Amino acid sequence: MIQTIKLLLPGLIPSWKFFKAIEPSPRVQWCMMDEAAQSCTDWQEYRPRPTHISAGSMLRRIFWNPNWNEALYMVSLAERLSLSSSTHSRDEIFKRLKLQLIRTNAIDAGRPCLQFRLVFVLREGTELVQQITYLSKTRRISDIVA
Amino acid sequence: MTLDDALLATELLLAWALILQSCEHLSTTKYDKPLFLLRIACCLVLASGTAPLLSLAMLAVISLIMLHRFQGPYNGGSDRMSVLIVWCLLFAHALPTMGLRETAFGYLAVQVVLSYFVSGWVKLINPQWRTGRALQDVFAFSAYPVSEELRRLADFPRLCWGMAWSVILFEVMFPIAMIDQALLIIALAIGAAFHLANACLFGLNRFFWIWLSAYPSMLWLQSRIVDALW
Repeated sequence: MIQTIKLLLPGLIPSWKFFKAIEPSPRVQWCMMDEAAQSCTDWQEYRPRPTHISAGSMLRRIFWNPNWNEALYMVSLAERLSLSSSTHSRDEIFKRLKLQLIRTNAIDAGRPCLQFRLVFVLREGTELVQQITYLSKTRRISDIVA
Repeated sequence: MTLDDALLATELLLAWALILQSCEHLSTTKYDKPLFLLRIACCLVLASGTAPLLSLAMLAVISLIMLHRFQGPYNGGSDRMSVLIVWCLLFAHALPTMGLRETAFGYLAVQVVLSYFVSGWVKLINPQWRTGRALQDVFAFSAYPVSEELRRLADFPRLCWGMAWSVILFEVMFPIAMIDQALLIIALAIGAAFHLANACLFGLNRFFWIWLSAYPSMLWLQSRIVDALW
């Protein structure tokens, strides 16, 4: 009950402080590897943004934009995971990564394990820098419920 | 605008916004399929006007299930606004007296006004926003620009400064529009254009539809205040 109230209250009494400050921005990167691998060397960004989007696509996305909204949910999960070691956020990221691998036919039987990391991009002076803030444990893809 | 007209307009717009959201969920994961199919059914009942109280009660319960399911909002502010509208509409139908019903619906309007004013105020008091640097950073490295090309806007500091001040002034001055209906309609048109731009540049399509859903509450509250004063 208390948990429900804690989840509901920010909806009923919102703070509305959109973009109060521009915080470091997370990127979720994933890697498939075989079970013997010690570390990953081939990190891929989850849903990298396209170079160009036409005006027509922008307008169409006003009505239909599920992939982008899922990507924004991954950003929220990454932010939550960096603030506290949330099992829910970690499992959701694994689940969405597996779904994306299935959708893109990227599952590779020779590399049955999946790992992800969070890279935060931030400004330091005039430079943009990247900091790795989280590295997940490796999981067998077949063990991830998706 | 009468309370009944405003409630009906809000319910129709809310139903449309939640159906779009639910269809998007259905396309990305099969796990929550029953929940979002039920949500679509409730929206259709709500839009039909046959059982608003029952459908809103169901949508309120679904909003709680979703908050547990995603351990918070799925899409930040747009989900928060969805929850707020559903619960305010529910109370606007369920409370026993007209005064309480009006208070519930008026609360929604006040929150929408605050959604502009507070987010403008926090930018106004932030030097990074006043210099345009914050908006440059939004384009440069935030997760929101929908394409790499858009990131190049960060290289135009004067443009970012102009856009930042346009947003700040619109947001902090928004409450003034409540004094006159014509002014409010102009402010809402600018607000809709602002959300449309955010949908195009940052992919925030859910914000566009759900904020539009709350606009009738402001039109009603403005006319209600004028009626009460004169």
